[in-house]
Amino acid sequence: MIKMKNAIRKWTATTLAIMFTVAVAGCGGSQSAAPGNSAGGAAKIGVVSFLSGGGAAYGEAIRQGLELARDEINAKGKTKLELVFEDSKGEKNEAINATNKLIHKDNVLAIIGPTLSGEMFAAGPIASQAGVSIMGTSTTAEGITDIGDYVFRNSLPESLALPNVVKKAKDKFSLKKVAVMYSNNNDFTVSGFKTFEQAIKDNGLETVTVETFADKDTDFSAQLTKIAALKPDAIIISALYQEAALILKKAREIGITIPIIGNNGFNSPQLIKLAGSASEGAVVASPWFPGKDDEKVKNFVAAFKAKYNKEPDQFSAQAYDAMYIMASAIEKAGTTTDRKKLRDSLATVKDFQGVTGKFAFDAKRNPAMDVTILVVKDGKFTELK
Amino acid sequence: MFLQQVVNGLTLGSTYAVIALGYTLIFGVLNIVNMAHGEIFMIGAFVGLMLVTKFNVSIFVALAGAMVVGAALGYLLERIALRPLRRREVSHLAPLISTIGVSIFLESLALKIFGPQAQSFPPLYSGQLFEIGTLKISLIQIIILAISFGLMLTLRFWLDKTKLGKSIRATAENIETAGLLGIDTRKVIVLTVMLASGLGAVAGVLVGLAFNAVEPTMGISMGFKGLAVLILGGLGNVTGAMIGGLILGIAEVFSVAYGSSSYREAVAFGLIIFLLFLRPQGLFGSQASQGGR
Amino acid sequence: MEDLLNPYYLQIVMFMMINAMLGISIYLTLSTGQLSLGNAGFMSVGAYTSALLTLKVGLPLVLAIPVGGIAACLIAAVIGIPTTRLQGIYLAIATLGFGEVVRVVILNMKITNGALGLSGIPSLSALIGNRLSAMGLGQGAMGLTLQQISNITVIILLACIVVFLVFFSLRLRSSRIGRAFAAIKADEHAAEVSGVNTVYYKLMAFFLGAFVAGIAGGLAAHLTFYIGPKDFSYHRAVEILLFAVFGGSNVVWGPLLGSVILTSLPEILRSVAEYREMIYGAILVIMMIFRPQGLISEETIRFWRSKLTGSSAQAEKSEPARRPAG
Repeated sequence: MIKMKNAIRKWTATTLAIMFTVAVAGCGGSQSAAPGNSAGGAAKIGVVSFLSGGGAAYGEAIRQGLELARDEINAKGKTKLELVFEDSKGEKNEAINATNKLIHKDNVLAIIGPTLSGEMFAAGPIASQAGVSIMGTSTTAEGITDIGDYVFRNSLPESLALPNVVKKAKDKFSLKKVAVMYSNNNDFTVSGFKTFEQAIKDNGLETVTVETFADKDTDFSAQLTKIAALKPDAIIISALYQEAALILKKAREIGITIPIIGNNGFNSPQLIKLAGSASEGAVVASPWFPGKDDEKVKNFVAAFKAKYNKEPDQFSAQAYDAMYIMASAIEKAGTTTDRKKLRDSLATVKDFQGVTGKFAFDAKRNPAMDVTILVVKDGKFTELK
Repeated sequence: MFLQQVVNGLTLGSTYAVIALGYTLIFGVLNIVNMAHGEIFMIGAFVGLMLVTKFNVSIFVALAGAMVVGAALGYLLERIALRPLRRREVSHLAPLISTIGVSIFLESLALKIFGPQAQSFPPLYSGQLFEIGTLKISLIQIIILAISFGLMLTLRFWLDKTKLGKSIRATAENIETAGLLGIDTRKVIVLTVMLASGLGAVAGVLVGLAFNAVEPTMGISMGFKGLAVLILGGLGNVTGAMIGGLILGIAEVFSVAYGSSSYREAVAFGLIIFLLFLRPQGLFGSQASQGGR
Repeated sequence: MEDLLNPYYLQIVMFMMINAMLGISIYLTLSTGQLSLGNAGFMSVGAYTSALLTLKVGLPLVLAIPVGGIAACLIAAVIGIPTTRLQGIYLAIATLGFGEVVRVVILNMKITNGALGLSGIPSLSALIGNRLSAMGLGQGAMGLTLQQISNITVIILLACIVVFLVFFSLRLRSSRIGRAFAAIKADEHAAEVSGVNTVYYKLMAFFLGAFVAGIAGGLAAHLTFYIGPKDFSYHRAVEILLFAVFGGSNVVWGPLLGSVILTSLPEILRSVAEYREMIYGAILVIMMIFRPQGLISEETIRFWRSKLTGSSAQAEKSEPARRPAG
């Protein structure tokens, strides 16, 4: 027994001794090294994205948007970009490790991502403390940019889009009472719900019931049957496109014909593909309107389709714009290595014309953008007039 | 609404029941919980989907095809992950852990091969609605109810009357005695696993049809529900699995209809935890199954 | 020479410590032959409780974290009490289910902020940094920045807790309680028949495991600024299981080794990140077939101990005529 205690004491002492020795003898240079120049003076941008696992579809869409933009920008020749991708698997600890690696090992100039708001809440403070700009393209929860001065986002917080769509729908369909459904295990959709809740109140509508479900759920018959029995004038849904499509299908299948209004998650060509004819008439507010009569948008959609053989959704569109925003900030800052200068340059981005419309960072580094109200008609998103 | 929700609950419940059958068969014979069953269910769904979309076969051929693939997977599972563990003296947890490993492996394999997006069956089978009074039942729901109940009754009959079925029950009862009576227990074990997995795969196709979404993570939550039914109905009890499944389906749907839909996922396990206090052997299990083995 | 004290590496070491604690929590319950698949759930109870206490009530960390552990214990009683009377499989499934129930409850309670999680949790490292600043080390010392010193202090703190747990487990093992545990693990019926109060000891082991998991959760919450329901999923529970099963489920050194290897491996193998889950699954199956006791077993320890401390003295203490196995 005593021998064991001694053995343990020996082990502990040795370990601590080793650690202190390393600490004392540790190399003096302790600041995180300044971003190194890669060959040819390219700006190294790190990307943390949800590339494998259940939500990989969204991370992949973001990656595709970024890569398309990067190739276009590099081809133009004015700024050279190099992207370093790290997979976060949608897990907070992974996002932290990925962010640390990008900042301290790969010495990137700035970071785009992570995909989920939860990941951003964990990785944002790290980047901000290290003085590295981090920009989210899909993080819509409230309070993201309050994390620090180096945290930006170009993902339209739903607080801008949703009140618009609720008002428009109320006017157009003469709504008085609505039912609400949302996915409650996803920060994106929960934020959307909270915004809807407020907008519904502000517009003086009555909520007959609030039903929840979870991501990856497939059976909505119980919730929809309950809603149908309460006879609302419309259903307002905050969901990602997969669940949204299933809900649309089931609702139409059991004979619900009232209008359905969706959050940003609805805004994807995948919705129309999955829901088929059930998607007709779905209303959504979004900065991304693929059918817009705009040169930039048309070119983007064509290029995306050519490269990836599918239509871009809003994750791709916002990522594409994010890359361009970053590039223009780098150009204005005139540096590929000074992190502080880049941050200051980003903060002053104004009058940027992207595929998602006019863009600027407001004082809190949140996007100030226009919003279009869309409706699905004849299998395509068109503007709701 | 009440009757409609009952129909919804029965449809959902019958899918749970078919999945639970797979768990309970394997538990009865091998005394282990096959944690990979949910993943076999998921792969069955994909196989059915591929058959229908790529090879344009009818839904019944797709069901049969899924059953075959499921059975094959079951065979591999038994051979690779379970049989080696019977040869040596391992703790009773080893097969459980091993099947957990298989389930994780299969899930990520499916994610790699099929991608994370949900895919759906072509709309041939959806859309048709029958109205009986105020009740609305879709064609799909009818098909699913019919096939699930059909499977359950066939299984019951088969286990009761046929020789092979009886040897399965004998092996489940007591493996040594069954061996002494001349039953080739190894063959029985392999067949049971294959049968259970085949059933699981069929359940996958049915669920994929019913809810129109097939994606690699569907095995996990369905698997959990199946486990819940396993305990609800009594470990190793086939009738228990069937009825337990229906009960769970109805309970879940009613919790949404009359309670809060947010706690739906917790209903299954809330039920078990509650049951464990009162009647741990499940609704149909016998007292003996608790302390013995 | 590369800067070893890079925040990247330091953070990984911190995660290693937490994972070691979690591995030990499974080991504690496993030492009576029970498998708990719900330790991610207990971890989440500990994490949320302590985070809410520091965020909303301003309780000092030293108090908040143990309270988190106790909360986890209380919740453990809910499933522990009915299931310890039964076969091990019930506990396994019940804990699995429990993990899910906890996740759903956390998603729906207002106080936990649902899917949005709790952000802005005070970080252990920052708190220590403030203390050090107050002591005048604001500019760093010995050539290291304040941040590095506080990170290293955090690591030392975590390491002390791990060492304490190891010490505790070793003493437990050779105590009367530990012998009861081992008896139950070897053959529950035999133990019961020979008068060991199996339910009592099984429950104790379960509570111990839950408490340690709760503490680990509380500590983890204060390392990462944010916690959300996604952090405590079924996959995390399986990962924790893997530390013990891979490293060695019979001895407390096993989860330590398991957590060190499995926390650093993903960083080393970033290129095959996509296949990681597949590799984990395969590891579980292969380990069960070829080496179910894990990498480090009692025999391994006996072997190395006799090599290190001189064979004659040890051979007398341990059982006679034992050939060291590799």
